[in-house]
Amino acid sequence: MAVRIISDILIAIGAIFALAGTIGILKMPDTYSRMQASTCVATLGVLGVTLGALLYAVFVMGSAAIAIKVAVIGLLILVTNPIGSHMLAKGAYKAGIRPEKKMDVDDLGRDFDE
Amino acid sequence: MTDLLIFAIAFAVLAAITLIRLAIGPNAADRMVAGDAADTLICCAMVLFSLFSGRGIYLDIAIVAALFGLIDTMLVGRYLEKEGGKGHGSADHQ
Amino acid sequence: MPKTKFPAVISTFLLCFAFWLLLTWSFALQELIAGAAVSLAVALFSARFFIHEKAFWFFNPAKLFSGLFYWLCIFPVELIKANLDMAGRCFGGCKKVNPGIVKVPVELKSEYGQAALANSITLTPGTITMETTEEDGQTYYYIHWIDVTAPSGKEAGDAIKGTLEKGLRRVWQ
Repeated sequence: MAVRIISDILIAIGAIFALAGTIGILKMPDTYSRMQASTCVATLGVLGVTLGALLYAVFVMGSAAIAIKVAVIGLLILVTNPIGSHMLAKGAYKAGIRPEKKMDVDDLGRDFDE
Repeated sequence: MTDLLIFAIAFAVLAAITLIRLAIGPNAADRMVAGDAADTLICCAMVLFSLFSGRGIYLDIAIVAALFGLIDTMLVGRYLEKEGGKGHGSADHQ
Repeated sequence: MPKTKFPAVISTFLLCFAFWLLLTWSFALQELIAGAAVSLAVALFSARFFIHEKAFWFFNPAKLFSGLFYWLCIFPVELIKANLDMAGRCFGGCKKVNPGIVKVPVELKSEYGQAALANSITLTPGTITMETTEEDGQTYYYIHWIDVTAPSGKEAGDAIKGTLEKGLRRVWQ
């Protein structure tokens, strides 16, 4: 019973951070800030859900195959998210997408755009 | 047992809310960010629903969904990097 | 195109085979043989893109232990701090942002170390590595930062990646 309460708390923490990321994606002012907010979903949101599900699968269901697969999913998202995020940010900047309100410090534009 | 189902539905609702940004986002990068986040949230919902129903088949689907989330984000990023600057203007990738 | 090296093939094969075992989670002989064949084909094809430096670097126990210490103790603390900060910004109405792109110098020399540092920075909410460049043997990262509080150069570098880089320097060089 205690294990189920702990796993519920972990999943609820993940849900709270996922909610924060969703609000950020909806309300942030420019493209790059939205990317920053979406990282929140993919880190602590996924980590909370994975840890909670892992506890549940090991101690309540007692199934090794499900636990291994849950761990693989969490690890896969955590390892691959920065690659996609970095490539999307770089591609968006090269495509000429700029925030409406001009950034105070913009070294990349200074060094490459002329 | 039902708490897992409630959390799974909550994650699915969050993914549906993210789709609003996919509909209104002013440019391609915004849409891709929203799609990537929706993919991650759907993966979480699938993990929770698989624990609720006790069947492992949803986990295989979640693994494939996570892999495709990486691949399509990389594809759109690479496309924007190579082609986005040529010709068609800055903010109107409709 | 770089040449395929034998130790790199062995390392990639071990990684692919471990991933196969995790996914199938069965130890029947047929599945093991099929997994070994597929892993060998993948390793022969992709080892030349995957491993550029010493192949068995990470099997050294001291390096492995400091790597585990980094990924299990140092990095999660930074991750949770940055996540709390970002969640506070999001729940507070998304008004307290001051985005900008800063250029920071990196002291790590190894390719793996630089890749791990860039991925750690990107995985932390609030900072995204956008581009790397090299000038006079010194590597620089261009980092999009959601709340610019320090000027470009060493001060911004200390604020963004001070602890991360100190932990990673024990693993790679």
